Amino acid sequence: MRQTILRRLTRPVTVLTGLVLAVLGILVAAPLVSLVSATIPADGDFAGSSWPDVVTSPMAVNLFWTPLQNSLLVALGTAVLSTVLGAFLAWVVVLSDAPGRKIIAVLATIPFALPSFAIALAWSSVFRNGRVGGSPGILAGMGVEVPDWLAWGALPVTLALVAHYFSLSFIIIAAALAGLGGDLLAAAELTGASKLRVAASIAIPAVSPALLSSFLLAFAEGVSNFASPALLGLPVRFQTLSTRLYGSISTGNVERGYVLAILLVIVAAAVLYVGNRVTAGRSFAVITGKATRPRTVRLGAAAWPVFTLASGLVAATTILPLAVLALTTFSRRSHRFDDGFTLHYWVGESDPGVSHGMAGVFRNDRLMDATGTTIAYGLAVAAGAVVLGMLAAYAVRRSGSTAVIGSISFLSYVPFLIPGIALGAAFIALFGSASSPLPNLYGTFWILVLAGIAASVPYAFQTSKSALGQVSGELEEAAVVVGAGTGRRITRILLPLSARGVTGGAMLVFVTTVRDLSLVVLLVTPATPLLAVETFRYAEEGFTQHANAITLIIAAVSVTATLLARRLQGADQPWNR
Amino acid sequence: MNTTLKLSCATLTLLALAACAGASEADADSESIDADQAHPEFDEMTHEQLVAAAEEDGEVVVYSFTSRIATVAEEFRAQYPGIDIVEHDVSSTELIERLRSEHQAGADTADVAYVSDAPVVWNELLQQEVLLRYIPERVEDLLDEQYKEPLLTNRLSTKVLMYNEEAHPDGAPVDYLWELTEPQWQSQVVMVDPTGRGDYLDLMTEIVLRADEMETTYQEYFGEPIELDEGVENAGYQFIADLYANDAILVSSTDDVNEAVGAVGQQDPPIGFATYSDRRDNEDEGWALQVANDVAPGPGIIFPAMLGITAEAQNPAAARLLIDFMMGDDSSDGGPAYAPFYVPGDYPTRSDLATPEEALPLEEFNAWLLAPEESAAVRGEVNDFILTVE
Repeated sequence: MRQTILRRLTRPVTVLTGLVLAVLGILVAAPLVSLVSATIPADGDFAGSSWPDVVTSPMAVNLFWTPLQNSLLVALGTAVLSTVLGAFLAWVVVLSDAPGRKIIAVLATIPFALPSFAIALAWSSVFRNGRVGGSPGILAGMGVEVPDWLAWGALPVTLALVAHYFSLSFIIIAAALAGLGGDLLAAAELTGASKLRVAASIAIPAVSPALLSSFLLAFAEGVSNFASPALLGLPVRFQTLSTRLYGSISTGNVERGYVLAILLVIVAAAVLYVGNRVTAGRSFAVITGKATRPRTVRLGAAAWPVFTLASGLVAATTILPLAVLALTTFSRRSHRFDDGFTLHYWVGESDPGVSHGMAGVFRNDRLMDATGTTIAYGLAVAAGAVVLGMLAAYAVRRSGSTAVIGSISFLSYVPFLIPGIALGAAFIALFGSASSPLPNLYGTFWILVLAGIAASVPYAFQTSKSALGQVSGELEEAAVVVGAGTGRRITRILLPLSARGVTGGAMLVFVTTVRDLSLVVLLVTPATPLLAVETFRYAEEGFTQHANAITLIIAAVSVTATLLARRLQGADQPWNR
Repeated sequence: MNTTLKLSCATLTLLALAACAGASEADADSESIDADQAHPEFDEMTHEQLVAAAEEDGEVVVYSFTSRIATVAEEFRAQYPGIDIVEHDVSSTELIERLRSEHQAGADTADVAYVSDAPVVWNELLQQEVLLRYIPERVEDLLDEQYKEPLLTNRLSTKVLMYNEEAHPDGAPVDYLWELTEPQWQSQVVMVDPTGRGDYLDLMTEIVLRADEMETTYQEYFGEPIELDEGVENAGYQFIADLYANDAILVSSTDDVNEAVGAVGQQDPPIGFATYSDRRDNEDEGWALQVANDVAPGPGIIFPAMLGITAEAQNPAAARLLIDFMMGDDSSDGGPAYAPFYVPGDYPTRSDLATPEEALPLEEFNAWLLAPEESAAVRGEVNDFILTVE
């Protein structure tokens, strides 16, 4: 009896499951627990803690309630507009016969690979107005009067986010539309229903789960994004929960920052949870069965206007901002093109007369250092997240216990509900405070990697699960019959067969990791410089050209990786079939 | 009150407080600890021996609150090619947070810190023994006592009201700080967000500490006594509230203020709080910055920029060498090493260095000398107050 228990406990799958649960516990559960416990006063007297400061004191309006409203406003705007634009592009690419669909499809996936601050920086280069005095943006420089509401605050913050996240909506909705049975629409049209009617009563309901999940994802990103409000909000004192959280922690009001982080997690998680409950009940039956290629909608005379609109949209969010950023890096003075052009900000030697003697980005040792650290960080997170995701997916696949499956699935899902900057704060609470039982990792490369892995687990787990799901269980059973052990089965059967999907997944983790700012902005120290944070610093310090140049470097790295990943994962994207 | 008098008053205050400190335990903590207590071997070294030891270290990491560190580093590299200097330019507020967190974590950290938030340095970095003091023997006798406490001060920097002299060739467009709360300056006063940047919080704090002067000048300017809003404690706080209510513009860096206020060719430029010495970049950057020195009751603050060695310095010899280097050589302007700091608008602390030309001599400069301890006591409250009026 004892031996049986021992044997069961030492079974590779049991050991593996235990390991996965332990790692997820440390990476996901522990940071949240320490975040919460750091805000609970030792004597249990909340009156003297940071909670009333943030929620009820005279400061609370500016510290929490107004930022909360702003965060929700930005998130709602981002979610609605991203979904509408994403759906429009998906319709153009998948269902219409508009010209140039292929190129639109490629361009529409690029904004997601760009750092979200790329658009914000480009926006500020174009629309910056006289409110902050000094040298105006490109438009104001041409004599166009740019009103404050267009230059700063809620609208530009939201639009900069939409320009980034509509791309995600496009990917989700296009996949759903492509799965839509063509015969379904054809049947409807045969009954004599108008195109509008077909769209309203068949196509839209059929893709509504995709619309909803695109809405939720964009909402979650909008509520937690840090870069956009940080770069475009301050001159009109537009603060969101993320910027307040960052401000509190970076000026030493750490506990207030933790309280804001908890509140931000609650807000984001509540919305996503409710949303997912709503989607969960829907039937996805339309995407099963033998779908035929959906019939193309003939646009006729509308083809060119639709093409113009769609291509204008993708150009305005990809080529245009990158071109603006590139152009500014060559201008001697920020946003002014009449003062001459220079390569100084790329390759110039240190010159005391320019940017306080800062050399061009390619001559700047620290930036070269940061480039190396960023790539190492991206690779380490991608590898770590995929390994953890694979092991977790395998444990779920092999474990018979619903409790185990439930816990692993839950812990792998939770980081999805936690905004990056709040997760960063939680990692500081766990790995950066003297009172924590775990080793102090603040200021090391490893705290970045661990946080990165934690943030990427939901995606890595889902990707691994679906990649493993494509490998039939019979293959593994056959291997068991011939006596192959767990390790051998994983390395000889599961890995080779799911390699393609997993590698593609890893590269997307790499991309989302290297271009992200909010997770690492609190964790980076001068000893561990990352490009995204360097950009933010330079932008804050007014070194526009340097900030924009580094953004272009990040964009180059992440767009290249995205395109590679897409080739690996989806030489056959659903909409190319 | 002229600056010399103010300096003496501040010194007296400090001395008085220091005297009290002997009796009270809380203040005893903010005594600085000399780095050479930890490493007595350096005490005896000649300069040549220090250079040899520093070359053995091979590297020195410095966190600096000013971007001028880039130029210092170039110069250091040229002079000591055997020592790899790694310089990081971070805001003083963030620098202090980093130092503190890294110290707590026992993580790798800088060897040298160049900081400006004197009140926080006083309050926290010294109490927690994050930073140690090092005074190179060579300059010890050239420095007033106040520039050796709590850390080595290598120059005085400023946050003062600056205007555009191209648009206002006849002098500052304001005579009183209170004018900034008037409709004609609505949305036209620029500064860095004080809740995010220590030096600006110090400026706001000083205005609160000068509440009496603010009250008097209110009466002078408006011709009637000040009426405080409900819950507002004094005229200093009232000024901050009124400034914010007048839509003061917050930006993220001093360079943004410089650009906003200083850029040439503006019809109606704003006014703003910035660094006096940035005026030196007028030509390079296309600015026309000038200090509003005569604004009443004062244009802003003048505060120490301090050098310290971290408690965990990995390269103790190179750290000492860099600090020594940053105090300048024996020439009358401090030589190339000190050149980035020897600029009009900054004030050298070494008594043998002449004040750089083209700026007001220290005696004529009306800025308030920051009193770190008094400031430290109320800056938290000021920060919270600003959060309520934003």
